Amino acid sequence: MRRNFLKGTAALGALAVLGGRWPAQAADAITMWHIFGAETEPGLKNIKRWNETQAQQIDQKFVPFGQLSQQLIKGIATGDVPDLITIDNPVVASFATQDALEDLSDLVRASRVIKADQYYAGSWGTTVWNGKQYAVPGEANTLALYYNADMFKAKGLDPDKPPRTWAELRHAAEVLTDKEKKVFGTAFCAIQSEEGTFQFLPFLQQSGANLKTLTSPDAVAALQLWTDFVTNGLASRDVLVKRQFEMTSSWLAGGSAMVISGPWELQRMKDVKFNWRVATLPRREGRDIEASALGGYVWGVPKGARNKEAAFKVIEFMSEPAQMQQAWSGGRLAPVKTLQVESPAMPEAYATFKKQMEVAKPRGPHPRWPEISAAMQTAIQEALTGRSPPDAALQKASRVINPILERTPMVGL
Amino acid sequence: MVGFTALYLAFFVGYPVVYNLIMSVQDVTLGNIRYLVRPFVGLDNYAKLIADPLFTMVLQNTLLFVIGNVALQFLGGLALALFFQQPFPGASFFRGLILAGWILPPLVIGAVWKWLLASDNGVINYALHSLGLTSGPIYWLSDPATSLIGVTMANVWFGVPFNMILLSAGLAGVPRDIYEAAALDGAGPVRRFFAITLPLLRPTIYALLALSTIYTMRAFDLIWTMTHGGPVDSSNIFPVWAYRLSFELFDFGGGAAVSTMMLVVVFIVALIYVRSVRAEQLS
Repeated sequence: MRRNFLKGTAALGALAVLGGRWPAQAADAITMWHIFGAETEPGLKNIKRWNETQAQQIDQKFVPFGQLSQQLIKGIATGDVPDLITIDNPVVASFATQDALEDLSDLVRASRVIKADQYYAGSWGTTVWNGKQYAVPGEANTLALYYNADMFKAKGLDPDKPPRTWAELRHAAEVLTDKEKKVFGTAFCAIQSEEGTFQFLPFLQQSGANLKTLTSPDAVAALQLWTDFVTNGLASRDVLVKRQFEMTSSWLAGGSAMVISGPWELQRMKDVKFNWRVATLPRREGRDIEASALGGYVWGVPKGARNKEAAFKVIEFMSEPAQMQQAWSGGRLAPVKTLQVESPAMPEAYATFKKQMEVAKPRGPHPRWPEISAAMQTAIQEALTGRSPPDAALQKASRVINPILERTPMVGL
Repeated sequence: MVGFTALYLAFFVGYPVVYNLIMSVQDVTLGNIRYLVRPFVGLDNYAKLIADPLFTMVLQNTLLFVIGNVALQFLGGLALALFFQQPFPGASFFRGLILAGWILPPLVIGAVWKWLLASDNGVINYALHSLGLTSGPIYWLSDPATSLIGVTMANVWFGVPFNMILLSAGLAGVPRDIYEAAALDGAGPVRRFFAITLPLLRPTIYALLALSTIYTMRAFDLIWTMTHGGPVDSSNIFPVWAYRLSFELFDFGGGAAVSTMMLVVVFIVALIYVRSVRAEQLS
């Protein structure tokens, strides 16, 4: 994170010096904006590999994940868009309906590399809107439960039996919470941003509810679970303002015994001093619905790009098994379910995340996803701060979300 | 000279302002954002904002944040400026050191203060607890009742050095002999401060208050890093809301309308400043 930040700052500095222009480049270079900040990113290796073998070079620029939409919007407004960009999957439908992305349907249909049926349905679904293909999944990630096995042992819990149900999760959190040592039993992220929605949706789905049935007792049960964690002191109140990476940092520092987070954090697990494991998310008893969140970037070609065909060739290159294989080394999963990574690093974690991926559900796709998500964030925060009880908070959210879904239905609801 | 200045202003100030104004009365989408001609919607964007339940809250937060910051930064800056005006070894060195806060980027300050204010293991809660001032943790940033205070503390810390340096410069401009004459006439330090220092500093103070109001009105990075405007929008202020509307909800017209409202406030502040400076010169 720090490195990303430094790089971003350096890039900004360079930009200022150059008067807002990137260094002169070959006229036909394929321009790409991407989120590959860390040096270890497989994406960067893949770009290098392309540049070593192809005449038409990729001219790349790093954009921090949180600023992708902003940068793309600025690019569109000033008519200065790249040929290829990585986009956060829940906003594809918004960009597509507002005519900001090229229709890739024909190219994808004719492609020999990219085959829809080889991808996770959820991942693929985020790239389609109104029957047209606006992007191609580049990566997939999901959430699972990281836990500190040493703390489990110290409190008499079996580290080989992570919580499988909500009741077990609650019990484990109670046992693991140690007020003396300032250890919280569990941790998650309920911040007022997309990250909060991302983390809460799996619980909503496991409860048996969905975005259309927010007023149901099931939905209330899901939010009640989170609320209880905070009000009973089993999770820090700071879940309301800390981002996912900050909650994970706190877990790494021994501030909590469990934390919900994604495979992108595995990079940081290499130097961890304690025994850690990762398990699939606990399910709600009596429902047995497995669910998790579906994150990840997709490749898109912004409207107005000069090298659409060439950009698509890069997408195909990045989607070849040889390149996709690399994803795991950067803490990312390939969005292709048929792909087998041979002898992956951290094999147990890989197996868990891969299993979790199979039940990961997309956010949307919906052109008004950001509004839906904002209403969810407010509901979560109102309940966790005690401003309103979970049922009232969810009722308020459904008054915002239901009209949106009635006007434009969401596939799969 | 006049022509050049006018051109500069028209291009670098006028253009963005007009562009923003135009956007705020249009229906702007990603599809039409690159053209200037877009559907005209009159004041719809403004009406929608004012009807939004968030509006009152964000307005109230903004007012509290700006007034709190400007006042506390000024008082802190004045206290430090007066302190460092006293001749003691290393005075100018330490004064320089305090400026470090002003040099750091708001993102870094936000991250550091977020650690300091963490409710479970933050230094500030630890200190308060050790001193016996609090019995339990204060949920600075994660409690809607205190989150605005939390971000204000960080922003005050950020702004005090700037206030101090401007006031120090103002103090240096006050002739020494007036103080000496007043001391001979029997005026004590308090009297000297209110009868000499404050009146002579007035032009500096006006400029400073205007500047720090404007700086505070656009505090974005710090709040974004610390709370994202949460919990439940309790630390959401106009610039944060404008960003969320434009870049997260893709409501560009709404974002532009918020920016225009901010502009009006800043314009009024600037106007008051210009007026008061003119009145000062006349008297």
